[in-house]
Amino acid sequence: MADRRDPVSFEIDGRTLVAPAGTMLVDAAAMHGIEIPIFCYEPRLGPPIGACRMCLVEVEGMRGLQTACSTPVAPDMVVRTRTPEVVDAQEGVLELLLINHPLDCPVCDKGGECPLQDRTFRFGPGASRFTEPKRHFPKPLDLSPLIALDRERCITCYRCVRFSQDVAQDRELIFAERGDGSFIATRSGGEYRGRFTGNVVDLCPVGALTSIPYRFVARPWDVVNTPSVCAHCPVGCNSELTGRDGRIRRVTGRPEPNAAVEEGWLCDKGRWAYPSTFGPDRVTRPVVRELGSEREATLEEALDRAALLLSRAAAPAFLLGPEATVEEGFIAQDLVARALPGGRVARLGIPGEALGALRALPAAELGDLDRADLVAVIGGDPSNGQPVVELRVRKAQRNGARIVVVGPRPTPLDGLGGLVRTEPGRLLTGFDLLEDALANARSAVVLWDEADLAGEPAAAERLAGMLAGRPGARQLELGADVNGAGLRALGIPAGGLIEAATAQRVGTLVAVHADPETGPGGGAWSAALERVGPIVAIASHHGPITERASVVLPALTAYEQEGVLVSMTGRAQRLRPGAPGPERAADGWELLIALSHRIGTPLPYRTARQAFAAAAAASPALAGLSYETLGVLGQPVARPAAPPAGAPAREPEGEGLLLVPCPAIFGDAASYRSDALAAVRTLPAAGLSPTEAARLGLADGEPATLASPYGRVTLPIRVDARLADGAAFVDLGAPAAPGAEALLPPDRGPVRVEVTRV
Amino acid sequence: MPQLNLVYRHREAGAPLTGLRDYERAGGFQGLRTALAQMEPDEVLYQFHRSGLRGRGGAGFPMGRKASFLPKDTPLRTYIVCNADESEPGTFKDREIIEMNPFQLLEGITTAAYAIGAARGYVYIRGEYEHQARILERALAEARAAGYLGESILGSGFTFDITIYRGAGAYICGEETALLESLEGKRGQPRLKPPFPAVAGLYASPTLINNVETLAAIPPIMERGADWYASLGTEKSTGTKLFSVSGHVLRPGNYEIVLHDTTLRELVFDIAGGLRPGRRFKACWVGGSSVPVLGEEALDTPLDYESLQAAGTFLGSGGCIVMDDSGCIVRASLRLARFYRHESCGKCTPCREGTGWMERLLQRLVDGEGRIEDLDLLESLFQRIAGKTLCPLADGAVAPIQSALRLFRDDFVRVAREGSPRPEPMTEVAVGG
Repeated sequence: MADRRDPVSFEIDGRTLVAPAGTMLVDAAAMHGIEIPIFCYEPRLGPPIGACRMCLVEVEGMRGLQTACSTPVAPDMVVRTRTPEVVDAQEGVLELLLINHPLDCPVCDKGGECPLQDRTFRFGPGASRFTEPKRHFPKPLDLSPLIALDRERCITCYRCVRFSQDVAQDRELIFAERGDGSFIATRSGGEYRGRFTGNVVDLCPVGALTSIPYRFVARPWDVVNTPSVCAHCPVGCNSELTGRDGRIRRVTGRPEPNAAVEEGWLCDKGRWAYPSTFGPDRVTRPVVRELGSEREATLEEALDRAALLLSRAAAPAFLLGPEATVEEGFIAQDLVARALPGGRVARLGIPGEALGALRALPAAELGDLDRADLVAVIGGDPSNGQPVVELRVRKAQRNGARIVVVGPRPTPLDGLGGLVRTEPGRLLTGFDLLEDALANARSAVVLWDEADLAGEPAAAERLAGMLAGRPGARQLELGADVNGAGLRALGIPAGGLIEAATAQRVGTLVAVHADPETGPGGGAWSAALERVGPIVAIASHHGPITERASVVLPALTAYEQEGVLVSMTGRAQRLRPGAPGPERAADGWELLIALSHRIGTPLPYRTARQAFAAAAAASPALAGLSYETLGVLGQPVARPAAPPAGAPAREPEGEGLLLVPCPAIFGDAASYRSDALAAVRTLPAAGLSPTEAARLGLADGEPATLASPYGRVTLPIRVDARLADGAAFVDLGAPAAPGAEALLPPDRGPVRVEVTRV
Repeated sequence: MPQLNLVYRHREAGAPLTGLRDYERAGGFQGLRTALAQMEPDEVLYQFHRSGLRGRGGAGFPMGRKASFLPKDTPLRTYIVCNADESEPGTFKDREIIEMNPFQLLEGITTAAYAIGAARGYVYIRGEYEHQARILERALAEARAAGYLGESILGSGFTFDITIYRGAGAYICGEETALLESLEGKRGQPRLKPPFPAVAGLYASPTLINNVETLAAIPPIMERGADWYASLGTEKSTGTKLFSVSGHVLRPGNYEIVLHDTTLRELVFDIAGGLRPGRRFKACWVGGSSVPVLGEEALDTPLDYESLQAAGTFLGSGGCIVMDDSGCIVRASLRLARFYRHESCGKCTPCREGTGWMERLLQRLVDGEGRIEDLDLLESLFQRIAGKTLCPLADGAVAPIQSALRLFRDDFVRVAREGSPRPEPMTEVAVGG
C-alpha cells in the first residue's frame, strides 16, 4: 500500500496541484491559496463532522456536492469550487445561517474579525429574502465570569462543544434542545468552569462566545496584534497580544499555532492574566532611597544612582528571577566579566545537580506527543503547573497512545491510563509499570517533573538509566521556572548567592525580575538580604524587594518587552512587545545596558537583537541562533552534555510530615494580580489524608499552622481520601496568599512540616 | 391483489403469537433451527442474497448486500442492531409485528446475527413504544429460557443475546448513524459517512442495522426457501411488503401484500375500504411522509420499488397516507414542514435553518398573508436544502412539499391569494385490517 502521505496530483478549478494523499480538500486547496469557506472544520478538534455544509464543492464522478472538509484528495481528482451550483450552495448556506442570526455586527465584539462576517462578504448573497420573525433567546448570558454567551448569534458549528467534550474533556459544554432551537448550555446547568475554557472564545467563528474582560473594549481596527510568548509558566505557549492605548487588552491563541508547543491552545491563566500589567501593584515610577528617605526620581537619576552603587561595590551580584530573559541573564554575565571583577550572577530556581543525566538524553517537544505510542508523566501535576501539557497528553491518548502516570499527587490526568500513586518522596517505587510499558513502546515520551526529580536524585538517576540507549524513547522536562532553561543555557547557577550574602560577601545586589522573599526559602532570603549591600531592583511589580531596594527601576513585563525565553522543552522563542507599558518603565536588558554605560564600560550592543546575538556567540547552547533564525515559532537550543554523575540523596530537613508542594493554576502571583481572574483564583490549602487529619485532630476546612525550618504559614486543611499518609500536600501560593513556598528551602529541596491546630 | 401474511404470521394463525408455544405451533423457529443445524453462516448470508429481500425501513437497500459489507476477519466484536424507532409519519407496521408476533422478530435477528457472526444484538425501540417494549422484553425472557437466545443456542455452539434500548423520542434516531450515536448514549445526530456502520458502527465496530420488518421477513425465507421468496413479486421487488394505510379511507390499517401484484388503487379502494361516499381521491404519500406525493393519475401504479420510482415517488416505509378532496394540500404540507422543523436534529445548516423557514413560509400562506412570490422562494429553498446535508432527513422534508407545489400548484396559488380555512375533521372511520 502506498504511504498515506505520498504526494498526489489533483485538479482544482482547472489548476493541477499536488498535496499529500489523505489531505482534506479544504487544506489541500488552502496550501495553494484557494479558499474554500468553512465554519465547523477545525482539525485540532478531531476528525471533521461535516455539519455546517459551508465547504460544499463539486468533485467529478461524485453524485451531488461534497464537503471539502471531509473529502481527502485522491490522485487525479477533479474539483471545482466556483461552479454556479457551488456558488448557489455557498450563498444558500450563508443565507440560511443568517436567517436567525441577529446581524448586530455594529455592537458585536467580533465585528471586524468575524469569520461569519468575512465569509458573508466573500461568499454570501448580497441580501436576504427572509422576512419572517427571527428566533429569540435571552441574552447575553454569563457562561462563566469570563465568557459571555449570546445564543442568538450562535451558528451551531459545534466547535466549542467539541473542544469541551473531546479536547479538554471537561465534558461541560453541550447542545441542548434540537433543530433551530438548539443552544449551547452546560451539562451541569451551572457555569463553565475549567482550566482551558477561554479557548472556546478563540474557536467561536461568530460573536456567540466572547471574553467578558474584553467586552466592548476595542474594535479590531483600533488594536495592534502582536505574536508573542506567554510567560506565566515554562511551557512557552505562543500567544497573540492585543494592544490598545498603551495597554495589553487581550491575549488569544495564535491564529497560526505552534504545533511543537501549544497547538494554538492557551490555559485560562495565560489568557486572562494580562490585567496584572496594569494592576495597583505595578511599578510605574523610579524610586531612590537615601538616608532613610524615599523619593520619586526620573529614570536618569535612578540609573545614575544605581550605577554609583554598582561601581562602588566590592563584590556586586546579580540575581535573576525566573522570568528574566536570556538577554538579561547574558548582559548581567557580560557586565560582571567586563567591568565588575569579583561579581557573581545567580538565578532563582532549582539547582538540579541530579538532573544533568536526564537532561542530556534525547529530548521531545510537546508536538512529539501526537505521534507517541507511550506517554508517561513522572511526578508533578502538569494540569496546574504546565497546564497546556494536559491537552497534549489527552490528545496523545485520543491518538491511541498508552498513558502512564506515576506520582504522589492526585491530578486530572489520573483517569487517562495506567496510574501508579507513589508514596510521597518515593517516586522510585513506581517505576515498574513504566519499565514494562517502555519495553513495549516504539515511540515513548517520558515527561518528568523538574522539582520532584531534583528532590529525588535516586529516582532521577534510575529514570535516566531506563531511558538511556532505548531507541524511540525521549524525555520531556516539566520545568518549574519560566526561563529556567534559558538561564541554565547561559550557565547561570541557581545556588551560592544566598550563602555568599549570608556571609556578607555581597556588596551591591541587582535583582532582575527577582523577589526572593516571596518564593521558596523566603525567610532565609530575608535574613540574607539584611546582610547584603545596597539593592537595585529592576522590577515590574511591587513586593518586598522594591520596599527594600535603594533604587527601584521600573521594568517592563514579558507582555511589553523584547527578549528571548527558552521553554522547558528547550525551545528559544521571542517575546515581542504587545504594548508600550508604563511611560517610565524600560526593558530590563535596556536598563542593564544603560548601567554599563554609566559605570564606564559600555557594552558593545544597544538592542535586544544585538544582545541576543552576543549571547549566542558566547554560549554553546545558543550557537547559531539569532532573532532571524528564531522567527515567529522559535528554535530548539542545543542539549547540554551529560555532566559527571549525580548528586547525593538528601534527607528532608525538619520534623513531621513530608511536604508535597502542589502547584495551583489559579493560585499564583499572576492570578492574584489579574482582576479578570478574581472569580476563579484559589486560596492555598493543606491537604491531608483522613488518617493524618484524624491523628492531628483536624477537620476539613479547619485552619492549621504548618511550620518547617524555613518558615510557617496558616492554611485551611483539606481532607482528601486520595492523599497518602505521612505527608502534607500543600498548595503553592502567591505573595497575596502564601502557601507551600513559605515552607520550602530556597532550593525547593525536601522538607518536613509540623502541622498544629491554630 | 393477493394479500399474503408472511411477516404478519399472527394473521395467518388467527390469533396473536405473543406466547412462545403459540409461535412454535405456527411454525416459528423452524427457520432458525434449520440455519443453526444445517447451514454455515455464509450459506445463511447467501440465502439473504438470493431472496432479494430489500431493506424495509425506507431506503430499500438489498439486505444481503448490506450484510456482506461487514468485514469477515475482524478482531472487533460484531453487532447487529434492529431499528425499531418507527417514527415515520403514517407508519405503524413494525408496531404490529412487535405487538402480535414478537418472536418472529427475535428469530430474524438471531438468524441474521448467526450469518454475520454477531455476539450481541440491540433492539432500538422508539421511546413512545413503551407497551411494545414490555412485550418484547417478555418475549426475550421466554426465548432465552427456551434456549433460543444465550449460550450455545439450541446446542449449536452459537452464543448470542439481545438487549432492548428505548429511545427518547427523536425521529432522527431512525437514521442509522444517529441511532448508533443515541445507542452509545450520545446526542442523536447522524455521523459523517464513510465510515459506514458495516465497518465502524456501534462502538466503532462492524455493525449490521436493519428495520424490524426486514428482520422479521427472514424466518419465512429460511422456512420456505429464498427461491420461493424471490419468486414473489418482480426481480427487484421480491416478497411481501407491509403497508400502513391511514388518512381519508374507511378501513385504515396494516396490510401485507405481495410486491407488484397490487396497485395503489387496489390498496386504497379495495383493501382499505375506499373513500367516504361522495369524496374524490386527491393525493397520497405512499411511502411515509418523506416521499413525493402522488395524485389521482398515479392510482394504477403497481406497488413495488421500480414502479413507484418510475411514478416519481418511493416505496419508502410503506406508510400510505391518503387524502381526499376535503383536505387542503397546502395545510398538509405545512403540517409536514412543522414536523420536519421539529425533528431536524440541528446538525446541518440547510436542514436546521431551512426547515424552519419552510414552515414559517407555509404558515404565512395558510394564514392568508402569503404572496405569489413566496412560491418561487419556496422552490429556491428546496434547491438549497435538498442534497446539501449529511443525512436524508432534509431531502425527506423537501420531497413531499416540493412535489405538492409542482403537482398542485393551482392550490398553492389559491392559498397564497386567499389563505386556507381549517378543514372539518373526518369522523366516519372504521377499524381496519
